[in-house]
Amino acid sequence: MFLKAQRSRRRLAAVVLAAALAAAGCGGSGGGGGTAADTLVVYTGQAGDWQLNFNPYSPTRIEGLGTIFEPLFFYNVTGSTDPVKRLGESFEWNADGTVLSITTRSGATWTDGKPFTAKDVVFTLDMVAKTPTMNSVGYKGKAAAIDDTHLTVTFDEPSYLVGPQVLGRTWIVPEHLWGQLSDPATNVIATPVGTGPFQLDEFKAQAFTLKANEGYHSGAPAVKKIRYLSLSGNQAGADALKAGQVDWQTGPVPDIANVEKNYPGYKANTTPMNQAALLTCSNAALGCEGPQTDPAVRKAVYYALNRTQVNSLAFENTASEISPGFALLGRDDAVISSKLAERTAPMQPDTAKAGQLLEGAGYAKGGDGLYAKDGQQLALNVKVVAGWTDYITALDTMTQQLQQAGIKLNVQQSSWNEWADARGQGKYQLIIDSLYQGPAADPFYLYSYFFATSSTAPVGQTATPNFARVSDPAIDAAIDALKAIDPKDTAARQPHLDAIQTRVEETVPYIPLLTAGTTSEYNAKKFTGWPDESNPYAFFAVWSAPDNSEIYRTLKPAGQ
Amino acid sequence: MRYYARKLGFYLVALWAALTLNFFIPRLMPGNPVDTLMAKLAQRGGQVDAEARRAYALLLGGDSEGTLLEQYFAYLGNLARGDLGVSVSAFPTPVSEVISGALPWTVVLVGVATVLSFLLGIGLGAFVGWRRGTWLDSLVPATTLLAAVPYFWLALILVALLASGLGWFPLIGGYDVVLDTGWNAEFIGSAVYHGTLPALTIVLSSIGGWLLGMRNMMVSTTAEDYVLTAQAKGLRGSRVMVRYAARNAVLPSFAAFAISLGFVVSGSIITEQVFSYPGIGSKLLQAVQNNDYALMQGIFLVITIAVLGANLVVDLLYAVVDPRTRAQG
Repeated sequence: MFLKAQRSRRRLAAVVLAAALAAAGCGGSGGGGGTAADTLVVYTGQAGDWQLNFNPYSPTRIEGLGTIFEPLFFYNVTGSTDPVKRLGESFEWNADGTVLSITTRSGATWTDGKPFTAKDVVFTLDMVAKTPTMNSVGYKGKAAAIDDTHLTVTFDEPSYLVGPQVLGRTWIVPEHLWGQLSDPATNVIATPVGTGPFQLDEFKAQAFTLKANEGYHSGAPAVKKIRYLSLSGNQAGADALKAGQVDWQTGPVPDIANVEKNYPGYKANTTPMNQAALLTCSNAALGCEGPQTDPAVRKAVYYALNRTQVNSLAFENTASEISPGFALLGRDDAVISSKLAERTAPMQPDTAKAGQLLEGAGYAKGGDGLYAKDGQQLALNVKVVAGWTDYITALDTMTQQLQQAGIKLNVQQSSWNEWADARGQGKYQLIIDSLYQGPAADPFYLYSYFFATSSTAPVGQTATPNFARVSDPAIDAAIDALKAIDPKDTAARQPHLDAIQTRVEETVPYIPLLTAGTTSEYNAKKFTGWPDESNPYAFFAVWSAPDNSEIYRTLKPAGQ
Repeated sequence: MRYYARKLGFYLVALWAALTLNFFIPRLMPGNPVDTLMAKLAQRGGQVDAEARRAYALLLGGDSEGTLLEQYFAYLGNLARGDLGVSVSAFPTPVSEVISGALPWTVVLVGVATVLSFLLGIGLGAFVGWRRGTWLDSLVPATTLLAAVPYFWLALILVALLASGLGWFPLIGGYDVVLDTGWNAEFIGSAVYHGTLPALTIVLSSIGGWLLGMRNMMVSTTAEDYVLTAQAKGLRGSRVMVRYAARNAVLPSFAAFAISLGFVVSGSIITEQVFSYPGIGSKLLQAVQNNDYALMQGIFLVITIAVLGANLVVDLLYAVVDPRTRAQG
């Protein structure tokens, strides 16, 4: 939600600028200046200088995932399309999911001219496995090359769901160069050599440029250069778009519904991806305190919300419905459990039902219209980051809605660091945030991140990222069972997915709000081939790697 | 000599106190660098699970190497060796490299703007004070109004009018990004061009203070007998104004100027934010947002030394210029 903070600042600036622009008759110059028709200018939300770092395994790398260093396959997280071949040709699991056989591409070369072979893949996997500081996915397999285009990866236990990490999120590096590095984890890889569709053109702290790799194995991309800008939040978005200085940025601009009118030549795309929710510190056994530890209170809040109103007042109607089982509506429709009491969270409030739930839990309405139990008013504190205007508006709206249902909400704004600290340590009652998806189009990943006991910690220790402190044997058992089932065997998986979804709906540790849309504005006049509803081939967000690399290599300058 | 020793001793104690605060204040802030980094990655579409946290905590060295006291002495020891540590937000770049990349931009921009606004303010102030009672007096409220306008507002108005509206100046950045950095005419020209609008903002908002101070000193100096005598001798008006009145009136402003030079290093966070200027102010903001203790401490250290150094020089110079400050009560 870093982008959110920038968005609000930008909004303020945009109001100021809009007035001035209207008076002065628009115009504008500076920034990148005029750019060639086959140069794509992107703004990833970077404020301030770029620090040289193209190490794909460094958490502070600035670029290179999928563009310079390729994975074996590209997984589209927005849909259940087959993985796209990058450096891999095909892969196959053995019957019990412990051995992954991979065929790699022949004829691909590194940008220094040396050939790519399966041994580079084995080298990369071994490096990740034996370097704890690079192993951010917990990869524990053993890789072995058979010949130049075949390798196997062996696991100790069924690991179907580790597949997308190994195949889609492991960035293959050249053994002949990386083998010489004494400390690959902290090397900034100033001159990256990869197999990807692009290579580093030039780096400057204020902007850097990638150029097309003319020797790319799948044919040189039509976009010849990509320039990455760094802008401050103040004038950035709307103003740079207005001046035509940025071809693609992700983040809302004022009046999203009329982007095509306000920015001639540009279009907007909103992809529902992250599920906005009120996170609750739900587990008293792990140290949570407050009325929200009672499932009846969480359910009452769930029913008392008017989601339609929140969507229009806070999100410019860019958000959409959400399923109480946290499978992503649209993408995961096939696996949404038929056993759920409600397939989607109600968009209209049901205060009567909320009242019944509270009375069933021993609450009684006082003279002030608020529920109370043992003389304690039903009041909940909710934390939000100061400056996240859309979330703050949403909370203000919800405060009024819950007041109608007899629940008091106290909105507490704080700095980002303070908020993130409270969320990690569980020192909160409610927090507004969103849940994110995994490396493939499968709700399993979200469940394993946010609902598994292994991802949580007692209050006072940092949870990663099961912030609600869910620890439920039924959910844990279903997650473990899913790990051992081939994702293709949908019939065998469904009972376990049903179990998780119904349990999540029953206990509401995360009170579902709406599915938040990610909005991109892009120059449709200069480039064609952008993802759209009919062909959502990648997640449409400029900051999401390797999705952006798939879009970069698909785009064509409109002149061609 | 005792006077100088006393002064030096005082500044050493002040430096130690500043370094100590510098160490403890960032550590009282909520959050830690690893979690900040994790949260940032998650928002950029990364998958962040327990394994990633372990990996990054190992990579960054975590935040729990020994007790606070041990860390404090390690910090002082590293400082003595000139080692400022490694920046977390720009990992794995050393802090000294981050600072040395950003500092010249700020020093040149804010330095030139401070000198300019001082010279303009003093010059105008002397003139306005000399011609007191004429229409020129209206310059005083006009410039103090500019100084009172919220700074970001002034900057945004200038951007809207001169950059967005008329297109005379670039909107953002410290130089045209297509040029090569270095000592060539094209790049320097671009840097000057890009720096003009931020510098103008600083000059406009700070000129009022200099002007007001100088004007009022000028008014009281012109009432002195030696000015009257100079006029009675029939000297040219401009000579009396510059050599007799202004020369004496400028002394207090000069002391203030020396101190404000010390603050040049800390730059102007808001200017740099509004104009995406690649200076130390934007680095400081980046450090605070990322709980980057090492970078924060490095920047505070540079600022502290610059301010203390400027004050020390002024103190010592003043003792030379005005022997009264040395006398003991």
